[in-house]
Amino acid sequence: MTCRAPHVLFVIVLGLMPLTGCKIVKTPEPGSEAAGSATATPADDAARMARMAAEIFAAKVVPFVAEQAVDLSTLRDAVAGGLDAAGAQHGHRPESEGSPWNFLVKGQGKVVKADTASRAAKLELDSDGDGVADVTVQLGPVIKGTSLRDAADFLVFTDFRDQIEFAKLARALNDEAHKALRLPEGDLTGRRFAFEGALTLRAKGDALLLVPTQLSEVP
Amino acid sequence: MKISRRLMLSAIGIAMSAAMPGLASAEGLIAILTPSHDNPFFKAEAVGAEARAKELGYETLVLVHDDDPNKQSELFDTAIARGAKAIILDNAGADATVAAVQRAKDAGIPSFLIDREIKESGIAVSQIVSNNYQGAQLGAEEFVRLMGETGKFAELVGREADTNAGIRSSGYHDIIDQYPEMEMVAQQSANWSQTEAYEKMETILQANPEIKGVISGNDTMAMGAWAALEAAGRTDVIVVGFDGSNDVRDSIKAGGIKATVLQPAYRQAQLAVEQADQFLKTGTTGQDEKQLMDCVLINADNAAKLETFALAD
Repeated sequence: MTCRAPHVLFVIVLGLMPLTGCKIVKTPEPGSEAAGSATATPADDAARMARMAAEIFAAKVVPFVAEQAVDLSTLRDAVAGGLDAAGAQHGHRPESEGSPWNFLVKGQGKVVKADTASRAAKLELDSDGDGVADVTVQLGPVIKGTSLRDAADFLVFTDFRDQIEFAKLARALNDEAHKALRLPEGDLTGRRFAFEGALTLRAKGDALLLVPTQLSEVP
Repeated sequence: MKISRRLMLSAIGIAMSAAMPGLASAEGLIAILTPSHDNPFFKAEAVGAEARAKELGYETLVLVHDDDPNKQSELFDTAIARGAKAIILDNAGADATVAAVQRAKDAGIPSFLIDREIKESGIAVSQIVSNNYQGAQLGAEEFVRLMGETGKFAELVGREADTNAGIRSSGYHDIIDQYPEMEMVAQQSANWSQTEAYEKMETILQANPEIKGVISGNDTMAMGAWAALEAAGRTDVIVVGFDGSNDVRDSIKAGGIKATVLQPAYRQAQLAVEQADQFLKTGTTGQDEKQLMDCVLINADNAAKLETFALAD
């Protein structure tokens, strides 16, 4: 049995332990959220990524989306001229081959259909005034995809231990997006909302499925 | 930290290309290490990498480690002793492989990983892997749809030491667990193996004759499960796999297995060779170390377009 004493953590652990003896303290992985934190036992992937998501969502992700978002109408016009061209102009993705384009968008739309009861609650909005829903705002708690993580250029796969950790981060960011939503009471159909958020397009005709970072009723 | 790591990588790259003059004239040897070619997925990788390497003017050394880290370690020694210029690797374990890749790096030989990650970055030059999480979610969505969002099912999981087993299972459950009527009655590892999957499926069927579906972490296990189901006269059971092999394609076309998820294995292997070539010539791949490639759902609608882990346009 070995006793590992990484920096000051060991002192804290000793102080917390009722009896002397050996406690195995896992050395936090460099770059992981556990590094430098005060907890002696590193949490599992989901918990660590949930903590990271909570730390960066309001502080970095929401402002990043606000700063980078293009008008949905601008994106729609650009995509009509070809997805790759639209991606090159407005999109976010790693350079690696075989990654889909992610977009940060903003806009307004009128609720054509509201499903707020389902686990995968959503608002279907008409953003171009033709009476037909053209963008779906995912409300959660079940939010599909990894759009938010993948559109945030500062979140790079290489910085994470493996796909499992990176996947948990995407899930946790979706959870944060859900938690941050504050919807008004009552039937939302026919009411108008302003939104900001991320979506992923793999092909030109793909439905627009938004992960919102901002959603508020427009009077 | 990220920046310093990248700087270091390119610095090493530049130092290496400076230390090895004359690469452009004699392209040299590329070693291609994969698990056993018994699984057509790994064979496609080896074939794809070898073909691209030869096109680019390299000699090739194709070796299999049979998912044995000790054997893999010996193969690294072989590649180093033979003076390989680069190693293309589908590895034998996320933890166990780190030391071998480091040893090659210390010997001045860059490694380019495909399919499976290792648990460290900054040692290999590239790690190009399928977006297993995205692919597993696609497969799970199709599975739930085919199951009518309800019923008992079993999951066959891959080899535990392989990150891909965990990430696929995680992707499956992030979707399936959202449907309260979907009930998992068995979850067992069949270690990616067709024969093990056959045996596990027989046992699962005996204990759970009411089973309605099986979701599998790869295609070889899906084939094993399907064979057991056929033998038991249970071709009503919905089976979904992962990989996009020709075997499962044929089964889908014949109305057997219902769906799988294509990993672009052939292209992935070629891309690794292209990045190796660029790295040897310029000292950089121009890409992040870790790269994800999206997967594609394969079912009766598009199975006919699938051939050797690539989808025709």
